[in-house]
Amino acid sequence: MDIITELNTVFRQVFDDNSLNVTRTTTANDIDEWDSLTHMNLVVAVELKFKIKFALGELQLLKNVGDMADMIGKKIAA
Amino acid sequence: MNELIVAGQYNIGHICTTHQCKSGLKDKTAMRWVSAHHERTDYTFGDLDAASNRFANLLDTLGVLPGDIFFTFLPKMPEQFFAFLGTLKHRTICGTLFSNFGEDALLDRLSDSKATGIITKKSFLRKIKRIWPQLPELRFVILVDIDEHSEENVYSYKQLMDAASAEWTTALTPPETPSVLHYTSGSTGKPKGALHAHRSVLLQNSTTRDVLAVNSNDIYWCTADQGWVTGTSYGIIGPWSLGVTQVHFGGVYDASVWMDLIQTERITVWYTAPTALRMLMRESPELYAPFDLSSLRHISSVGEPLNPEVMVWGEKILGKKIYDTWFQTETGGILIPNRPGTPIRHGSMGKPIDEIEAAILSDDGSQVGVNTHGNLCIKSGWSSMFITYINNQEKYDSRFRDGYYYTGDTAYRDDDGYFWFVGRSDDVINTSGHLVSPFEVESALLELDEIVESGVVGVPDDLLFEKVITYVALRDGITIAPELDLKIKLHISNRLSSIAAPHEVIAIEKIPKNKSGKIMRRVLKAWYLGLDAGDISTMED
Repeated sequence: MDIITELNTVFRQVFDDNSLNVTRTTTANDIDEWDSLTHMNLVVAVELKFKIKFALGELQLLKNVGDMADMIGKKIAA
Repeated sequence: MNELIVAGQYNIGHICTTHQCKSGLKDKTAMRWVSAHHERTDYTFGDLDAASNRFANLLDTLGVLPGDIFFTFLPKMPEQFFAFLGTLKHRTICGTLFSNFGEDALLDRLSDSKATGIITKKSFLRKIKRIWPQLPELRFVILVDIDEHSEENVYSYKQLMDAASAEWTTALTPPETPSVLHYTSGSTGKPKGALHAHRSVLLQNSTTRDVLAVNSNDIYWCTADQGWVTGTSYGIIGPWSLGVTQVHFGGVYDASVWMDLIQTERITVWYTAPTALRMLMRESPELYAPFDLSSLRHISSVGEPLNPEVMVWGEKILGKKIYDTWFQTETGGILIPNRPGTPIRHGSMGKPIDEIEAAILSDDGSQVGVNTHGNLCIKSGWSSMFITYINNQEKYDSRFRDGYYYTGDTAYRDDDGYFWFVGRSDDVINTSGHLVSPFEVESALLELDEIVESGVVGVPDDLLFEKVITYVALRDGITIAPELDLKIKLHISNRLSSIAAPHEVIAIEKIPKNKSGKIMRRVLKAWYLGLDAGDISTMED
């Protein structure tokens, strides 16, 4: 299973919406419930799913789901 | 008589649209809509009038009656404004729901109000469908993003609007006619529906002009979501009743995008929240250097007390004064503000507006002296005063004593008449300007099998003013692993709202209660803050 597909599972869990389909270009502007507060839960959910940790400030560099997937890929490979 | 009111017509929807057109502003831009992806669309007052007329006709077609209750459940988008104004023109009561509400929060509000209809988005329909069987009075849902009616009682906004006439004559609406409904949280029980009347436009209009210092040439931006009272009172009613051009932005927080918006749209007055300002304050000062903010005269703020550091930052980094204002859902409009032209005392709420009489009263109703803490009270009768908590007149009556409204805030007045916020006199949590009921969160937590008891408190937070902390007693054999911690946070976020989601979940053996079974939240708060819990003689064994 690729990272985007696994991320989609996480997004569906966090936003309680089984119809969500995220792509590499999805941003917080595309999901109505994605605000700064749900973002914190999303980060924790991603960390748990992929067994990784994000450093402080790392996430601010991410512009969309594609960037997030790339960073996850790097952390898994490291 | 205010010139706003012509021939006794107090209807807010009419005043914000038809009245502006009749006053010569038909072709003036009422709203510049900037989408999350930065597409810009201008709507004139004529457009606003026609679209809200169509919506009023649409409600007629669906058999909605004046006095019924209709809700918007939308993120910030043009359709929300058209629906809000059209509903008021129809003399139907318009409730607005924060777009991040989960199904428990929706159920509480829609069932208590016996709402007849709701306008929302396709992606939110799933939440409505889960609770619709428990809402026998809810007759229909309108979706803004489907082209054709899809199923029984689920209608396409586009199809209905296309079929509706743009002509509408708003019936004469007396000042006491019910208008806007906002639910607000208390420390006990379910949220209460604070109902307002069309006369509120008088104060919302005058405070937009005199406190926010907005004039007819301004380009005004209010960041508040229309799900909350600021979003309707000062993101719709106040400015449009003055014929002012508003910018509305559909995107999320982004410091650079926001500064670019002020620069590009030449925004002159900006009304926002302390949490947003504190987030901006955390950005590097260099971020602001490239932006030309010369159009902006000043910033006003509302939601929770504005700390002096933010005011200093605003002057130093943005070169702008920030004026804190105070009001509540129940007050309908700003009552105690700082404002341009009056010296600011950093950290103060400011001075009461001329229309009201504010007082600091002791619990027995007597006036307390200056610089002494007491209940912040407002003499009953200001024009935007709420008219009831629907289905809970007893609770409404309990907020008034000897002609004064007890706000639930404690404060003091200094020698020069400035008011200073001290705190809440109940357990309600103010997080990023939104009130969260600990009772609602505690109740939702008990829906999880793993949790036996829960207690919820708000504690000070540098960014949010207060953050939500949850104490839980777990079933035997269950421990607070990261997966359970996340499950609890997501449960609250999705059942109530992201605002109510706990920042920390702390497992303890037993939730402290008094001998009559009431959760002793002050003890939990003291534990969290490492303070003495005080008198615990009433705590159960």
